[in-house]
Order: sequence, then structure tokens, then C-alpha cells
Amino acid sequence: MSDSPDAHAPDPAIDWHAPPARAVRLHATTNALWFAVIPLLAFAIPLFAADGEQRLRMLAWYVGVTVAAAFAGAYSGARLRHQRWRLDAAGLWLRQGRLWWRETHVPNSRVQHVDLKHGPLERRFGLATLVVHTAAVHLSGITVRGLDEADAEQLRGTLAKQLDDAGDAL
Amino acid sequence: MNDPAIDTAALPQDGLEHRLHPLSWLFVLLAHLWQFIPALVLLLFAGRGDRNDLYGLIAVIVLVVLSLAQYFTYRYRLRSDAIVVRSGWLHRSVREIPYARIHNVNLHQSLLHRLVGVAEVRLESAGGIKPEAQMRVLRLDQAEALEALVRQRGHAAGGDAPQADALEAPPLLAMSNGEVLRLGLISNRGMLVVAAAAGALAQAGDNVFGMLVERWGKAVFGWFTGFAGEHAHDSPVAIGLAVASMVVVALVLVRLLSVLLAFLQYHGFTLREDDARIRVERGLLARYRSSAKRRRIQSWSLHEGVLHRWFKRRSLRVQTASGQRGEGAQRSLKELAPIATPAECDALIRHFLPEAGWDALAWQPLHRHAWWRIAVPGLLLVLVGTAALAWHVGATGLLALALLPLQLWRAHRIADACGHACNDRLVAWRTGWLSKRWSFAEIGKIQAVRLAQSPLDRRLGMASLLLDTAGASAFGAPLYLRQLPADVARDLSARLVAQLARRRV
Repeated sequence: MSDSPDAHAPDPAIDWHAPPARAVRLHATTNALWFAVIPLLAFAIPLFAADGEQRLRMLAWYVGVTVAAAFAGAYSGARLRHQRWRLDAAGLWLRQGRLWWRETHVPNSRVQHVDLKHGPLERRFGLATLVVHTAAVHLSGITVRGLDEADAEQLRGTLAKQLDDAGDAL
Repeated sequence: MNDPAIDTAALPQDGLEHRLHPLSWLFVLLAHLWQFIPALVLLLFAGRGDRNDLYGLIAVIVLVVLSLAQYFTYRYRLRSDAIVVRSGWLHRSVREIPYARIHNVNLHQSLLHRLVGVAEVRLESAGGIKPEAQMRVLRLDQAEALEALVRQRGHAAGGDAPQADALEAPPLLAMSNGEVLRLGLISNRGMLVVAAAAGALAQAGDNVFGMLVERWGKAVFGWFTGFAGEHAHDSPVAIGLAVASMVVVALVLVRLLSVLLAFLQYHGFTLREDDARIRVERGLLARYRSSAKRRRIQSWSLHEGVLHRWFKRRSLRVQTASGQRGEGAQRSLKELAPIATPAECDALIRHFLPEAGWDALAWQPLHRHAWWRIAVPGLLLVLVGTAALAWHVGATGLLALALLPLQLWRAHRIADACGHACNDRLVAWRTGWLSKRWSFAEIGKIQAVRLAQSPLDRRLGMASLLLDTAGASAFGAPLYLRQLPADVARDLSARLVAQLARRRV
């Protein structure tokens, strides 16, 4: 992240939190599996209908495409390692991506509600996903993936507490 | 619907539950039937058997029963702080809508409504696709009283005292017939209808267009051969004339249609403000009346297209927080000035945002090389297109490269036209070269901020800043500041973030 603009840090004492390594691994794996499922579904019927040599040729194609899709999925999932978040007096900050770098900020007073989601796999690895909802149209659900469960609970607690003293943001 | 001092006495405020207007089931039925019109038309054309008529009859009976059930089960009660709406028979719901949370009130009267003397009321709060309550229908005086009640009570909860005698203030903007005519000429509403009709005709299957062209050709050729001689329809002049005349007539017809639609929708447009609520009334046959609280406006946009510029007019729109789509979107308050002179638009903005310093904004340019970045997609398109052309027709295809300087010149003009401005109340972004648009919002209305850089941006030292507000269009945010110098974007973002953190809404 050395080449990305190191934005104004209102409070440098607070660190940017990186996702734990297991979260990146889990995300890459699940993404790879999802990507691999698509060719599986797309090829299932033609593969079933084909016969003989044609089926062998299709099988080879199929394996190739599935592996390529899985790699693409793993790569896109592993981009989670560039995610950083922090919470300070101004609100929640989220940085994503390296080549397509973006930094999203939600002021505390603009948080509408907070969702904490645990998928079955995430639960197994002690991880959680936090979705911060705002009234905005394009940045309406800011999703922080691969949070450590304890961090996530704390983050939600802080954001939800600040909700109570903020007024109607519209 | 002009109101000489509405009082809210027309409404039953005894704390008991009340039904809607006794005829409301009829309007509910009509609304249902309206949705079925495409199906009915299809039935009329496709099915010619007797049994289809029977099905149609059954459907209508079912709808009548449903409408009656809705009338008998829909009740509203006016409490001092909220409206309580109870509806449903098997699936019951009670909905409590505090006056202070109602963002928009829309009154709608179709021609039929006007004959009977009733109106449809929609109450909208922030967000949501459907309105909070849709009262179909109330007696007109009751509807107006309800609107006034929401205005008063919403204020009482807000804290500041309502001004009772502000009702008869002169309108902030009233459109004369000349203005409506200009609006029709400028707007392309007619084109939408033509496009929809063309789509419907294409669906119909018959070659309607071919027939149309042939008939027209025959008519024009006939007229032309009348004085140009027998063999005229072979000459390219005749064909050219026929096509050109058809295009001209089509354009004139579309504009006429636009003018007609403008009169239907905008005749008698008035913009008023009372008790910090902005109220718009319009419509020739069907009357629309919508109102929203001034402080509920999320963002503003001022637009000036090429035709606007010819007529020396602009249009001023606002976005409110209610996320109405489709039918509702047309009715809620959107346009403060469908068309007005630039001076009038500026005066309106000054009136509604008196401390924002709209006239004295210091516009900042884009990054020095922004034009280059703007040109990239067009350049790529030209290069790919040229390659394809050269592949097909040989070296002559390379002539398309002449478009490159044109692209660059266009990008230069766009880059010069864009800019951003920010003072301590307002943040603004202007864009467009031929069709100009100024978008702005109060800083307090910004909900979230995103600073972004693509690899190309980074190389050129640029960044983009998305300032998202509620109620923005789903297609492209109005305040998406692109091709800013990276340090300027960062500073602006930091400044806005600091202000947002300080300001407690």
C-alpha cells in the first residue's frame, strides 16, 4: 500500500486493521469453489448428453475451464488481503484493493443500522462479516469482510452505541 | 385546488377510526383494472372465444369484491402525534406514521377524481419503494386538510412555530402558457411516447413500419410526380426529398406531442412555500400536488441542455429521501422549476439556501491532464473501430483515424467545462460541455464518502471522490467528482469528513 495516497489520518494513534490470514485463506477458498461451480452447472447437461470420444474431449475442456475459474476465484478472493479498516472519532474507514484502490468513509452520525453476519464456515473459523447501512444510494451497505469475531462484536457495539445519540440523518 | 385558508376542521379528529370516501372502492377497482389493461387488450385481440369473456367477467367480479373488502377494512385514525392506518382482513396490519417523519405529501386528482370531488393522498417517509400510506380516496377538502395537518403537526414536533398566515404568499414560481410551450419544445417527452409506441408496434408482429414508409412514399411521390413528371420517382432527388420530408414531419409531430404532454402535465405549475414546506401544483386534466419539507431535500441539480440554451432557460430539480419508483416517482416532488430563466433558478436557489453562497462559489478546475483521461475511452473506441474497418475495407478504413483529434478536442472541452466547488455549507460539481449540469448538496446531507484511484488515475496523479446522498438516482451519483488532482481530492475529503464529524446533522 506504499504507493496509495496515505490519507489524512485524524488520529494516527489508531491502527488500520488487516484481516487475519485465515480470513483471507477462507475467502479465497470459498470464492474458488463458487467460481468452479458455475462451469460445473453449465457443462453438466452437455456432458451428460455427449458420448464416446466427444465426451472425453469435453471432459478435458471442462477440467481446464473449472481449474481456470477456480484460480480466478481464488485470486479475487485473496484480494481481501488488501482490506484495512479502522474506527475513530470521525467514524468508520474502509480501504479496499491495491490497483483499484478505494477508501470509503461513513461518519458515525450517518450510520442507519449495522448487520453482523456469520456464515456457517465463518463461524467455524471464528470470523464475521459486518455490514454498515447508510441512507445513501450507492454506498448504502458498506461491507467489512473477514473480521475476527471479537473485533466484529466490538465494532458493532461501538457503532450501535453511537447510533443512539445521533439524530435523524435525513 | 387553490386554497383560501384551509382549516383542518373538515377532518374527523375525534380520535376514532374512520373509513375513506364511500366511493373509494370504485377508484381502487379502477386502479386495479388499469394494471390489467395490457392483459385485457391482449385478450381482446388474441382470444375471440366466448369463454374468454367469461373469464374476464369473473376477474372483474373478483376485483370488485377485493376493492369492496379493501374499502371496508381500511380505516385511519388521526392522533395528536401520528396517523394510524389499520387495513387488511385476513392479513391485518396497523401502521403508525408520526407526522414528523412524513417527508412528502402528494395529492393526486385525475379527471374522474375531479368530477366526483375527491383526491388520492400519498404519505411518504424516507426510503422504501412504496409510500407509507396511500389513501385512495378522500374528499378533496379532507385531503387538503390532511395535508395542512401534516404540515402543522410535523412542525409542532420539529420545534419551530408555524406561521399561520403564510398560506397566501405569492408563488415563488408560476409557469405561464408560454413557458409550458417552451418546456414542451425543449423536453423530449414526446420521444418517449413514440419510442413506447414503436416498441408496442414492433411487438404486434405485423410490419407496420414497412407499411408506413411505403404509404408515405406513395403519398409524397404522388404529390411530387403531380408536377415533376411521370418518371420522377426514379431520381435520387425524389427519394431524398421523400425521406427528408418524412424525417421533418416526424420531428414536428414529436415536438407537437411533447408540447401536448407538457400542457397536460405542467399547465398551471406553481411553486409555493409555506411553513418551510415546498409545495408544487400542476396538471391540466389530472392535477398533481406534492409537498416536501425544505430541510428534507437531499441534493439539487440544475440542468442546461443545448435546447435550453437556445431558449435561455434552465431546469432545477431536487432529490428527496423517499425512494419512490415507477408510478410514485412521477408524483413526488422533483422539479422546483421545470423550466425557468437562469436568473430565476439562481433566485430560487438563493431563496431556499440563503446562507449557502451559491453565487459566490469558487469553482476549481480538474487535474491539468484530466482531458487526457476523459479522452481514453473514446480513443480506444476509435482505435478498435479503425482496426475493424481496416480489416474489412483495407487501407481506406484508416481514414477513421481522423476522428482521433476530434475526440481529443471534445475531451478538452469537457475537461474545461467540469469543475468542483466547496464552501462551508455547500459542495458542488459541474459537468458537461454541450449539456451542462450543476449538482450540489448541503454538506450536512452527505451520507458517505469514497475516495478512489484506478491504476491510470494513479499514474496521472488523479483521484475521484464520490459524495453519496440519500435519494440520488440509482444510475450514477450526482456528486461523483472525477479527475481531481489527487492531493486536492484528499484535502477535500478530509475537510468534508471533519465537517461531517463535527456537525450533528
